[in-house]
Amino acid sequence: MLSEIAKFPFYVLLHPFQGFWDLKYENKGKLRISLSILLLLTIATIILRQYSGFVVNFNYPYDLNSISELQYIVLPFFLWCVSNWSLTTLMDGEGKFKEIVMATGYALLPLVLMRFGNTFLSNIITLRESSFYYLIESIATLWFIWLLFIGTMTVHQYSVMKTIVTMLLTLVVMGIIIFLGLLFFSLLQEMLGFVFAIYTEISLRL
Amino acid sequence: MMKLIKLMTSAALLLAAFQLFASPLQAAAPYEGYSYSYWGTTSTTPNAYLPETVINGVEQGIGKFKEPTDLYVDDDGQLYVLDAGNGRIVVFDEQWKVVREIRGFQNGGKQDQFANPQGLFVTKKGQIFVADTDNSRVVELTNEGEFVREIGAPKSEVIRDGFEYFPKKVGVDNAGRIYVIGRGVFDGIIEFDSDGVFTGFMGTNRVKFDVWDYFWKKLSTKAQKSKLAQFVPLEFNNLDLDQEGFIYTTTAEVNSADPIKRLNSTGVDVLRREGYFFPRGDVYSSNPNASSILIDVQVGANGVYSALDSRKGRVFTYNEDGNLMYVFGRIGTQEGTFKTPVAVESRGSQFFVLDQGLNRINVFSPTRYGTLINDANALLVSGDYNGAESKWRELLRLDANNEIAYVGIGKAMLRQGDNKLAMENLKLGYDRVYYSKAFGKYRKEMTRKYFGAGMTVVFVLIAALWSWNIIKRRSTGKVKANVI
Repeated sequence: MLSEIAKFPFYVLLHPFQGFWDLKYENKGKLRISLSILLLLTIATIILRQYSGFVVNFNYPYDLNSISELQYIVLPFFLWCVSNWSLTTLMDGEGKFKEIVMATGYALLPLVLMRFGNTFLSNIITLRESSFYYLIESIATLWFIWLLFIGTMTVHQYSVMKTIVTMLLTLVVMGIIIFLGLLFFSLLQEMLGFVFAIYTEISLRL
Repeated sequence: MMKLIKLMTSAALLLAAFQLFASPLQAAAPYEGYSYSYWGTTSTTPNAYLPETVINGVEQGIGKFKEPTDLYVDDDGQLYVLDAGNGRIVVFDEQWKVVREIRGFQNGGKQDQFANPQGLFVTKKGQIFVADTDNSRVVELTNEGEFVREIGAPKSEVIRDGFEYFPKKVGVDNAGRIYVIGRGVFDGIIEFDSDGVFTGFMGTNRVKFDVWDYFWKKLSTKAQKSKLAQFVPLEFNNLDLDQEGFIYTTTAEVNSADPIKRLNSTGVDVLRREGYFFPRGDVYSSNPNASSILIDVQVGANGVYSALDSRKGRVFTYNEDGNLMYVFGRIGTQEGTFKTPVAVESRGSQFFVLDQGLNRINVFSPTRYGTLINDANALLVSGDYNGAESKWRELLRLDANNEIAYVGIGKAMLRQGDNKLAMENLKLGYDRVYYSKAFGKYRKEMTRKYFGAGMTVVFVLIAALWSWNIIKRRSTGKVKANVI
C-alpha cells in the first residue's frame, strides 16, 4: 500500500492523462503526498542554491536565505491554487480546491527530481559541459508546465483552449491578489500610523 | 609575583612602543586604499601608493605654476609641464632640476606665444606638440623650443557647418600621424597625417538614448523637437598612446560602462575587459552622483593603464586584462590630495598628478604593497608564472582578500600540475574559466586513479546480483515444486 502511494506520483509523471484521471476519479491522489512534494521542492531548491557546483553557482553566499525560498515557492504555490480555484468556480470548472492542490503538487515532481539531480551533476561538470545543466533545467521546467496543463485540464474537465486561457487568467488573478494584499497592508499601515500619531499628540498635550 | 608584574609591564611598554611606531605611518596616508571584490563590495586594502612630495615651481626657482593644464613624461624620463597661466612649458629632469623653460618661439620672424594651451605631447624623437587651444592650432616645437610648424583647423567637405576648432588634447603615433581632441567635437578624434593634412575623424563614441526619449521625440512637433536635446554622441576628453600606437581615450560620461577605450588604427575599441567589472572607475555607481568622471588616462609599461577621476580625485590603475590593481588619491587640500586634478602621468613606478586648483604636481611612490602588485603583474606579463606566484603569495600576507592574487597562484599551480590546489585558489579568485580547466584535469586524474578499483567493484556487484538471482530462482522453484 505504502509503496503504491509512493509510486503513484511517478506514474503521473509518465502517464499524465491516465494519472490525473485516477487522481480525480479513483481517489488515488493524496493531499499529504502533494504537500510533501512541495516541501521536497523547497528543500531541493535550498540545497541546489547552496551546494550546486562552482561553475554554475553564481549565488552570493550572504544573500542565501532559506526563509526566502518559502516566499518564492510555497507562497506562489498557494497563490496559484487559490487563484485557480477562484477562477474555475466562476468558469464551470469541476475541480474542488483539494484536487487543484493535489494536481499542482504532483506536477511539481519533475522540478524536485531535476533540482536534486542537478545539484549532484553540477559538481562533476566543467564549464563547457554546463549546457547540459541548463538543458536539464529547461526540460524539467517544460515538463512541469506540461503536467500542470494536463492536470488543470483533467481536474476541471476543460477543452484545450479553455485550459490555456484559464491558466493565463490565473496568472492575472495572482497579480490582482498580490496587488490587493499590498494595498490592504499599506492601508493598514497608514491607519495604524494615524492612530499612533493621534495617541502621541494627545499624550504630549495632556 | 614581582617577576610577573615586571614581565607584564615590559610587554605593555613594548606594545605601546609598537603602536607609537605604527600610528604615524597610518596618519601619513590622507586616503585609504580599497578595491572591489568579485561581488561588487568594496574591501579595504593597504595603500598601494603614498604621496612623496609636491612640486609647485617655487623651490625649483622658476616661480609658482599658474593654472597648469597638462603633464607629459617622455621616453628619456624628462617631465614636461604645460603651465598655461604663465604661457610656458617647463621641462624637469628626474631630479626635479629645470632643464628648460619655453616661454615663446620665433614664428616667421615674429615672436609668438601660446594662448590658453590645454594639451601637450612629446614624441619619441623629442618633438613637442602643443594643443594651443585659443589660437586654434597645434604647434610643433623641437625639444629645444624652436618652432617647426603649426597645424591649423581641419579643412574638408565632411566637416559640418558651424564647426569650431579648439584643440584640447594632442597625441602623435609612431608613424607621425597627429590625433587631436577638440572641445565640443563629438564627431570623434580629429586625425591628421604626418604632413598635417586632415584625413578624417576616428573612433566616434556611440549615440546613447533611451526608448522613452525616442518615443517623445516621435510624438513632438517640429517646434518642440528643436527645443529637445539632440541625440549626439559624447565627446572624448583625453587621449594617450601606448608603445604599439593604440590610442587610449576617456569620456566624461556619468554611469558609462566603457568610459575608457583602446582604439586601434581604424577606430575600433579593443580594450580587454576581462576583470570582474569593466574599467570604469568606481563600480558602485547606481547613484549618478557617485559615478566616476574620468578625465585623463595614462598608459604605462606592460599594458598597465591608469585613469584619473575628477569627481573624487582618485587614480584607478588597471592591468592589461582590465583587472583593477589599486586605487589611490582623493579630493582635499593636504599634500597628496587634489582640488582640481587635471592630468596623470607616470615614470617608472612613480605617479604624478597635476592639480590645477592648487597649482602643483603631486608625486606618488609605491609602498611595499604597490611594489608587489607591480612586480607580480610585470612577471605575469613576461610569462614568468612561477616568479609571479611567489610575489602573489607575499602579497596575500599583506592583503588576504586579494582575489587577483589567488587567480595568479591558481594559474601557476595549474601550470605546475597541482590541479587540486589550483582549483582551490581559482575558486577563491572566482575565475570560473580556469577553475573549470583545473577541474577537468583533476577529474581525469581521479578517473584514471580509481577506474580499475571502480570497475572491479561494479563487476563484482553485477556478478553477486546475478548469482543471487539464480539462487533465489532455484530455491523458490524448489519450494514451488515441493508444494505442487
